[in-house]
Amino acid sequence: MSVKELTHQIFSRERLTAQRLAITLAVLAMVLIAASVFSIAVGSEHVGFTNVIRVIGAEITGHAADVSAEQRIIIADIRLPRVLMAIVVGAALAVAGSAYQALLRNPLADPGILGISSGAALGAISATIFAESLPISRPVAAFGGAVITIAVVYAVGQGRRESGTVRLILGGVIINALLSSIVIFLVTSVAGARQRNVISWLIGDLSGESRLLLPVAVFVLIGIGAVYVNARSLNLMMIGEQDALTLGVEARRVKIAVYLAASLLTGAAVAVSGAIGFVGLIIPHAVRLVGGSDNRLVVPASALVGGIFLMLADTIARTAVAPRELNIGVITSLIGAPVFVYLLRRTN
Amino acid sequence: MNAHRLNAADRESSTRLRRIVSLVLFSLLPATLTISVSSCSSRKNSPVTSRTVTDELGRIVQVPAQPQRIVSLAPSITEILFALGVGDRVAGVTSYCDYPPAARQKTPVGDTLKPSVERIVALKADLVIISTASQVEASFRKLEELGIPVYVTNPRTIDGVVESIDKIGELIDARERALELTDELRRRITNVETRVAKASRPSVLVILGTEPLITAGAGSFINDLINRAGARSISAEEVADYPQYSIEAVVARQPEIILLQAGGNELIERLRQTPAARSNRVYHIDDDLLLRPGPRIVDGLEQLAAKFHPELFERDS
Repeated sequence: MSVKELTHQIFSRERLTAQRLAITLAVLAMVLIAASVFSIAVGSEHVGFTNVIRVIGAEITGHAADVSAEQRIIIADIRLPRVLMAIVVGAALAVAGSAYQALLRNPLADPGILGISSGAALGAISATIFAESLPISRPVAAFGGAVITIAVVYAVGQGRRESGTVRLILGGVIINALLSSIVIFLVTSVAGARQRNVISWLIGDLSGESRLLLPVAVFVLIGIGAVYVNARSLNLMMIGEQDALTLGVEARRVKIAVYLAASLLTGAAVAVSGAIGFVGLIIPHAVRLVGGSDNRLVVPASALVGGIFLMLADTIARTAVAPRELNIGVITSLIGAPVFVYLLRRTN
Repeated sequence: MNAHRLNAADRESSTRLRRIVSLVLFSLLPATLTISVSSCSSRKNSPVTSRTVTDELGRIVQVPAQPQRIVSLAPSITEILFALGVGDRVAGVTSYCDYPPAARQKTPVGDTLKPSVERIVALKADLVIISTASQVEASFRKLEELGIPVYVTNPRTIDGVVESIDKIGELIDARERALELTDELRRRITNVETRVAKASRPSVLVILGTEPLITAGAGSFINDLINRAGARSISAEEVADYPQYSIEAVVARQPEIILLQAGGNELIERLRQTPAARSNRVYHIDDDLLLRPGPRIVDGLEQLAAKFHPELFERDS
């Protein structure tokens, strides 16, 4: 297949075929791997590309790599887990965003805007302040916060027919404001010496421990899988719930499953990295702009693009002012806000 | 009608699609996970001669008998290490470590909030010392995970700083120099205290942030300094370490002395109804002396006492 045909397959908003889906995802997966190698190769300390390949090869095959101990630790124990964490968190946030956007039939829906990130953050911050000694309390509390928040937002947003979606967004905005105030209250008056930890984490941070990587990755895979199996139903519901019903979609079951899955994704992401904005908003937008709005493409492609985006953003955060680090939330907002404005204007 | 046909066709291609995507997704991610798991397992770090110590948070840490490549992650700790005469064994410092001047020649490993873990590894650090006064949990857990010993200091008072210096002396095998230094510091602290013991205690407002006005509560370090220097802070009863105050709360408490960092003239203008502003007893403080829990804290204590009780310290200045 020529490059021209390939780009034609990817940059098409026509009806989705199995071939087009497979090609798009395969190309994105290759970009993801290339971007990972690049991200692992750059940082405050110099390690060569060849050493990166050697160490990763050694990690996979189990042989000892012919590099210094420090280089091996930097590549395999510091950068690799961090890159993988960025991929997992980016994928989770982007798929959560695509799920909310499809469910609510509103392109502005996003874990941040609906207040779900704030709910998860409040849960996790409360755990940090009140139950610091329990290591598992933070992810569990974050998931709990996300689920409770979406339930409250949904209850607030329940309205008569079509007004429901708008009310849901407004409900999210209001809950978001409320939760942010509670978070600020906790941080300024209760957190004491732990204040700085909490603040750094409020704007997002991926530099933490890698022992959470595996459980979070499992949760995120389950969440993405659960959204993906409902992708076709979401397509039909985007036309309208009433129409979907006549086409045999159990709208209520699909809604609950996707809400829970998206909350799981948000909770898992926020628990390990804090509230990182804009990923859930701009990534599904960008994917739809290029490949059309069929959720069977949007969901998996968002996962891959979200992973690539957050990993590269984190690479900027690590390297821009090395050896100091920037907060990744600052980077995603600086990139995300203008991109979002551009996307909005383009779609208009 | 049309919709039904579409639906059936869609369903067929959907199963195919789903299969392909599942294949791609589930083959890609487990592969990356295996990498991450295997990367966490192997560890090889056994210093030839090591011993266990208990740090100031009660954590048990295994450290080399005589650490040779120390990374300091707080300006106060850098000052302590240099005061203990082991500056040559300091391998890395933070970008805020500016004292003594020789500290600036050391390799920076980032700021206190987010140090570069990989640079610490590249420096082959055999001991990392951090302070609860300025550290984030995440980076120190990561260091532990990598098998680099992390010693945490937790000074809450001026006595705590002196104790901390003793303990660090023991930690880095510079016990005698540490005892010499702390004896001297204790002598100077006692000297200040005996001088101010019988004097009246003026009320003090310490301003750590001007917009909004942030002051210091009971648990804060500077509150202890103010006490020991023979005064009392108007916010000494506050539970929060760094509470926010309103202008009227300050005016109502009528502080006789105001301490503030550089700038803040507008705020002082708004506080002109206080005895401190009327009698011109507004002093700029040197953050490096008063907010860093290192050896120079005693210099800070002496300066504060001299400002609070100029009549008792006239001879010195």
